Amino acid sequence: MNGIGGNDPIASMYKREAMPVSRRAWLRAAGLGFGSLGLTTLLATDFFSQTANPLAPKSAHFAPRAKRVIFLFMHGGPSSIDTFDPKERLDRDHGKPLPIKRPLAFDRSDPGPLMKSPWTFRRGGKSGLPVSDLFPNVRECADDLCVIRSMVGEGVDHGAALLQTFTGTSTFIRPSLGSWTLYGLGTENRNLPGFIAIKPSLAHGGAKNWSSAFLPGAYQGTAIGHAGMKVEDISSEPIEYLVNKRLSGDEQRYELEMLRNVNRRHEALRGNDPQLEARIQAFELAFRMQTEAPEAFEIDKESEATKKLYGLDDPLTRDFAWQCLLARRLAERDVRFIQCTHSYKWDQHSELYNLHTQNAREVDKPIAGLLKDLKSRGLLQDTLVIWAGEFGRTPVSQGGDGRDHNPYGYTIWMAGGGVKGGFAYGATDEIGYHAVEDRMHIHDFHATALHLLGLDHERLTYNYNGRNFRLTDVAGVVARKILA
Amino acid sequence: MMTVRSRWIYKLPVLALFAALALLAQRPAGAAADDEFFEKKVRPILSAKCQKCHNSQALVAELDMSTAEGFARGGESGPLIDGERPMESRLLKVIGYDGEIKMPPTGKLKDEEISVLTEWVRMGAPWPGAKPAKDSAESVAVRKSGRTFSEEEKSFWAFQPVADPAPPAIRNKNLIKSPIDGFILAKLEEKGIAPAPPADRLELLRRATFDLTGLPPTESEIRNFLADRLPDAFAKVVDRLLASPRYGEQWGRRWLDVARYADSTGNDEDHRYPHAWRYRDWVIAAFNADLPYDRFIREQIAGDLLAPEGEDAKLGVNRRGIVATGFLALGAKALAQQDKTRMLYDVYDEQVDVTSKAFLGLTVACARCHDHKFDPILTRDYYSMISIFASTRSFRDPKEFVSPPLTKPLVPKTEYDSYEKALRLHNDRLKRVRFAIDEIIDSVKQPEAQTAAAQLAEIMLAARRVYEDGLELNDEAHKVKLSPEAFAKWVEYLKPGKPREHLLEWERAATLERREVALGYQERFVKRLGEWDAKVSAWRRKYEDAVAANKSPLPDKPSFEAGHDRFFAEVYFNRKGPLAVDEKDEARFTPDAQARMKKLIAEREEIRKQAPPEPDMACAVEDGEIVEQRVFIRGSYHNPGEPAPKDVPQILKLGIPAPENWSGSGRLELADWVARADNPLTARVMVNRVWGWHFGEGLVRTPDNFGVMGERPTHPELLDYLARRFVAGGWSIKALHRTIMLSSAYQMSSRASDEGMAKDPDNRLLSRFPRRRLTVEEMRDAMLAIDGSLDLTMGGTLQSGTGTDGENDDKRLSLNPEKITRRTVYLPLRRANLPPLLNLFDFGDATTVNGKRQLTNVATQALFWLNSEFLADRAANFARALCAEPANDDAGRIERAYLRILNRRPAQEEISGAIKYLAVYREKFPGAENEYKSWMSLARVLMAANDFIYLD
Repeated sequence: MNGIGGNDPIASMYKREAMPVSRRAWLRAAGLGFGSLGLTTLLATDFFSQTANPLAPKSAHFAPRAKRVIFLFMHGGPSSIDTFDPKERLDRDHGKPLPIKRPLAFDRSDPGPLMKSPWTFRRGGKSGLPVSDLFPNVRECADDLCVIRSMVGEGVDHGAALLQTFTGTSTFIRPSLGSWTLYGLGTENRNLPGFIAIKPSLAHGGAKNWSSAFLPGAYQGTAIGHAGMKVEDISSEPIEYLVNKRLSGDEQRYELEMLRNVNRRHEALRGNDPQLEARIQAFELAFRMQTEAPEAFEIDKESEATKKLYGLDDPLTRDFAWQCLLARRLAERDVRFIQCTHSYKWDQHSELYNLHTQNAREVDKPIAGLLKDLKSRGLLQDTLVIWAGEFGRTPVSQGGDGRDHNPYGYTIWMAGGGVKGGFAYGATDEIGYHAVEDRMHIHDFHATALHLLGLDHERLTYNYNGRNFRLTDVAGVVARKILA
Repeated sequence: MMTVRSRWIYKLPVLALFAALALLAQRPAGAAADDEFFEKKVRPILSAKCQKCHNSQALVAELDMSTAEGFARGGESGPLIDGERPMESRLLKVIGYDGEIKMPPTGKLKDEEISVLTEWVRMGAPWPGAKPAKDSAESVAVRKSGRTFSEEEKSFWAFQPVADPAPPAIRNKNLIKSPIDGFILAKLEEKGIAPAPPADRLELLRRATFDLTGLPPTESEIRNFLADRLPDAFAKVVDRLLASPRYGEQWGRRWLDVARYADSTGNDEDHRYPHAWRYRDWVIAAFNADLPYDRFIREQIAGDLLAPEGEDAKLGVNRRGIVATGFLALGAKALAQQDKTRMLYDVYDEQVDVTSKAFLGLTVACARCHDHKFDPILTRDYYSMISIFASTRSFRDPKEFVSPPLTKPLVPKTEYDSYEKALRLHNDRLKRVRFAIDEIIDSVKQPEAQTAAAQLAEIMLAARRVYEDGLELNDEAHKVKLSPEAFAKWVEYLKPGKPREHLLEWERAATLERREVALGYQERFVKRLGEWDAKVSAWRRKYEDAVAANKSPLPDKPSFEAGHDRFFAEVYFNRKGPLAVDEKDEARFTPDAQARMKKLIAEREEIRKQAPPEPDMACAVEDGEIVEQRVFIRGSYHNPGEPAPKDVPQILKLGIPAPENWSGSGRLELADWVARADNPLTARVMVNRVWGWHFGEGLVRTPDNFGVMGERPTHPELLDYLARRFVAGGWSIKALHRTIMLSSAYQMSSRASDEGMAKDPDNRLLSRFPRRRLTVEEMRDAMLAIDGSLDLTMGGTLQSGTGTDGENDDKRLSLNPEKITRRTVYLPLRRANLPPLLNLFDFGDATTVNGKRQLTNVATQALFWLNSEFLADRAANFARALCAEPANDDAGRIERAYLRILNRRPAQEEISGAIKYLAVYREKFPGAENEYKSWMSLARVLMAANDFIYLD
C-alpha cells in the first residue's frame, strides 16, 4: 500500500472542505486505506452501531436463552414413528386396517394397513429418552434433546409444508424465520452475513424459504451454494461475489482508493445525503467481508479429531458433516441464524427401510458430532439447535413398503439454547397419526423459537402495506413447559 | 419398546355409550341431580378447557361458553348442541378430534372428560338456572356480516368523488411551467421554503432518459441536447423518449411489479407458465401504444369477453384480450395442494387481492376471515368479489393430482381441434412403434426370465460363492449355464451394499440356511413372474384388438407396483437389473430381430420429428361454471354462511352505482365498474403510481393501499387535479408523463438546501427532486448499453421447457442475468428461485402487488461492485472500444468515458485526477497491455461510483 494512502496525491486533490468536521475527521482516519484494517474496523464499528444500519445489533425484548440458531432441516419428511416417537400399538396391530378415518393424505389411493416400525427403539442417556436404531449416535446425546412429539402443520404437500415451516404460512409469501430473527436482533459479526442458508433446496418454495419477502432485503438469507451442488464446487467461493477472479489484491486496493475519492467528491458536491455516505461505508464493509469471511469457510483448519467426530472423513457422511462443521464455525463467529439442509432425501413413499436407513447414516454422525462439539466448546448453552422435517409420515403403509405424508402429528427436536434436555413434550395418539397432547402448531413452534431468542412474537412486527405483520400471524403460543 | 399411553379407543360413539351407561348407573335421578352433575363434572371441564378463550371478554370465534345464554347461542359456526340429534352436536365433533376443527387446540381431552361431556349432551346439556329458550330459531343465531358505516368511514377521503380543484395562486408565478407547479409551490410558500433551483441540463437529460427508458442517454443524444438551446428542447426530448420502444420496456416493467409478474407458479412445485411472456409483451406493447388506461384495465380483467379488434376480429379470436387476462392467471399457485377446494379459494383470493390492490388501492383480501380490521370492507364484500373469480376458470382441471393451469389457444377452435387430433394420432403412432420394440425385447427377455426363474436358487447360491467366498466368476457362471456377462449382473445385484430390506433375509442367512432361503425367493419369484406374464398377455390382446378396431387412444401397458415385491421389481424391471434387456442390446437379438429393431428405431426418430407444432397459446382465464358463493365463516370453506352474490364493496356503492346486471362470471361488469370515469379510486390510484415512479414517492406514499392504514396524500388537490385531467384526456398515460415532466417540479435540482433539509426532511413538500438509486434493471441494462453489448431484441421468451424439474436440478434456477445480454425485462423469472442478482438489488418477490420497491444499501451489494465478473466484463469491453478509437491524449478519452458512463463532462480536476490515476496505475502494475488495463480499471471505478448508480 505504498503511496496510496492518506498522502496520495489524487486523494488530497479531491479533498473538499464542504464536509462537517466530525465526518471529515472520520474520513481522514479512514483514509489510512483499505489495507489498514485495524483502525478501519474500529471506526466502522462505531458506524455500525448507528441505527442507520439495518443489521446493527438490537437488544432483545427480554433476556434471551439462545443467541443464535442452527436449523438442521431434513427435507422430505422423516418418519417420527420410526425415529423419536415409538408406537407399541403399531407392533401389535401391524397389518390391521387403519382404525380411524384417514385425514387428507397426499396419496390418493386407498391407505395400506398399519405398518410397524422396522427399527427397534432403545433408551439413551440418563433420561432414557427413546431413540430408534436409525440414530445410534444422536441417541448418545439423548440428555440434550428436547423432543417435541406433537407438532401440527397444515400442508399435506411438500411445498405448503416447507413454506409453513419456514415462514408460518403455506400459501402466501412471508418473511422466513431466519429473516425475522435477523430483523429482530441484528447481527454482531459484520464480516459475515447474519443469516446463512447452507446448501438450501431449490424445490418446494426454493429461495422463498430463506427470503425476507416484504422485510427489507438486508434480512434475506445468504445462500452457500444449493442442494444440487457438490461441496467441492461450493468451497472455492461460498458466498457470491466474495472472490475477485481478475485482480490482484494491490490492484483492487488501488482501485478502491480511487473509487472512494470519486465517491467522496460526488458526495461533497451534494451536501448531506445519508444514502451516499451509506454506500461509501458499504464498500468498506464489503472489503472487510471479502478479506475476513473466507477464513470462516476453511474447514481444513479443523483438527483431524474434529473432522472425524463429524464424519468428514467418510464419503457417506461427508456432505452433511461439512454442513454441520461449517455451521459450528459460523455459530462460533456469531452468525445469527444458520440453516443446514439434507435435501431432498426423506420422502419415502416407498422403500422406507432402505432409504431411511441410508438417509440416517448420512446425517446421524454429523449431527451427533455437532451437538458434542458445540457442548465441549461451551456453545451449546446459547445456541438453539433445531432438527425438523416439514412433516412426519403415516402409520399406514403406502404402495407396500412406504409411508405417506403426515402433518397432523409429528416430531421435531431442539437442543441447547434454553430448552430442557432429555425431555419429551407432547404426544400423538396411539398409532402416531394425530397430535393429541400439548399440540404444537407450527405457529407455536415459531413463537417458542423466538421466545428462546428473547423475542416476543407478538411484538416482533413489521408494517407492510398498512398492516402490522407477524411471523405467527394471529396465532402462536409459547410452549413454556420446554423451557429449561 | 417403550410404553405409551395404553388406553385409546378410536370409535367415540362406542366409548360414549359405555361411559354413558356407567355414569347413568351412578347418577341419582331428577333436576337437582342434573345440577349436581353439571357443577361437579361438567363445569370444571368447561372452565379449565374451554372458557379461557370462549368467554364473554375474549369471545374467540364469537363464542361465550361461560354463561348459559352464551352457550345456548353458540358461536360464529352455529350452535354447539343439536337438539334433534344430540350425538351429532358440534361440541362432540370438535372434542372428538376427528374433523377439521379440533378443540381444545392444545390437546385432546382425557377420555373421562369426553365421556362426561358426551353424557351431558345426551341429557340435553342442562345448564342450571338457564332460562328456557324463547325460540329455538333465535338460539340458532344466523349472523349476517352486514353493518352500517360510520360517518367517519363514509367521509374517508379516498371514497369521495374526485374534486375539480383549480391550481392555487402563488406569488412566484415565473416558476410555473405546468399547472401542477401551482399546487406544489403553494405549499412551499406556505412553509416559507424556496424550491430547489432547476437541475443542470445534463442531469435533467440523464434523469428523464433513465426515467422513461431505463437506459442512459447516448453520447450523441447528449451532444444534440446541449446544442439545442431552444425553449422546447426538453419537451422534444420527452417526446422522443416517449416514442422510443424502450419506453414500453421500462414502464411496462413498472406495471409488471404491480402485476406480480413471473414465469412460474412459485409456491410448491414451481411449474413453468410457458406462455406468460405473452402477457409481459402485451403490457410493453400497451405502454408503447399508449393504450387508454380504462381499456388497459378492462382487458386485464375481462379481455376475453370484449369484442376483438383489428386483426383479431378478422381471425375471430380475441388474441389480445385473452393474453391480457394473464394478469389474473399468472399469480403464485400451489398446484400440488391436495385440498383442492382450498387450492382454488387460495387462487381466487390471490385474484381478488391483485385486482383490488392494483386498480383500486384497496386491501380487500384482508376481509377473508373477518370484516376488514381498519377499512370499511366487509367479509361479504370479499366473498362477493370471490364469487366472480370462483365463476372463472384458472385451471385446465383442478382435480388432477398436480393441477395444470389453464392455457388457451390463440387460434380458431377448428384449428386447435385439428391440432389436438393430430397430436393424438401422433402419440398413437409412437405407441405402436413402442409396442413393436417391446415385442422384440420381450422375445429375448421372457424366455431368459423363465430360465432364470427355474433355477433362481442355484443362481443366488452361485453368486454368493463369488462375492462372499471368492470363487471364480467364470466357473460359477458355467455351473448355472449362464454367460459370464449375464451372471456378473446377478453377482453385482446380489452383493451387499446399500440397505435393502427385501434382501435382508438372504444376506442374513447362515451358510446352512442359504439354500432354503434361496428356494423361498425362487418360489415367490416364479409366482410373481407368472402373474405378470398373464397381465401382460391380457393387455396385449386388448391392445391388438384396439389396433384392429382402429381405436384411439390405444391402451397403455400395465405398470407394476414395485413396493409390493421389490425383489421382483429390481430383478425384472431395473434398467441395470440382472434381467434387463435394452433396445440397444443388439447382440442378444436374432439377426432378423436386429434388422427389425433398427428399422423401428429409425421410424421412431422420424415420427418424433413430425410432432405437430403446438399453436400459439396463452396463460389466461375464462368463464367457468357459475358458483353460488357464500360467505365462508372465518375463511373456512367447511363453514359456509350467508349467500354472497356478485357485488362490489358496499362502501363504494354509496358513491357510484354497482353494476345492475351481472352476466357469466361477472368479470366484464366488474371491469367496466372499475374503469368507470367516476370511480373515486381508479384514476387516483393510477396517477399516484405514475407520480411515484417519476418521483420515487407517490403523492400517497402507500401506492397499493389507499385505505385507513395507508398514508394520506401530501397534495390531495394535486392528486385530484391530475386524476381528473387523466380521465378527461382519455386516460392517456403518455399525456400524464408530459404534464408531470414538463413541470418545474420535475426539473428541479436534487440538491437539498439546508433550509429544505431542515423544514422538509422527508421531501414531502417536494422542495427538491429526490435523488434515487438505479433499479437493478436500470443498472444492469445501462452497464450493457455502455459497453455496447446490450441486445435490444424485443419480446418472445428465453424460457425453455414445460412443467417443473427435479427437486434440486439447476434448471429450477432462473437464468443467470450476468450471462445474458437481453434487457432485464425479458429474462424469464422462476418465481421460487429468482436470479440472485435481482434479489440482491431489491427486485421484490414477484408474488404480491409491489407498487414501490424498497431500495436498500448493504455490504453484500458492494461485494457485487467489488468482484462481479459481469462488471469486469463490461469494463473490459468498454476499455477495449475506448482504446480502439483514435484520440489525441488521455484527456480526450477520459472525457468520453465520463460522457458515456456518467453522462456528463468531467471537471478539470477530475480530468487531472484521472490522468494521474492512469499514470500511477501503469507505473505500479507494469506488463503487457497495461495501458488498456488502466482504462479498464478506470471504467470499473466509474461504473461502481455513486455518480453512476444514483440519479440526480
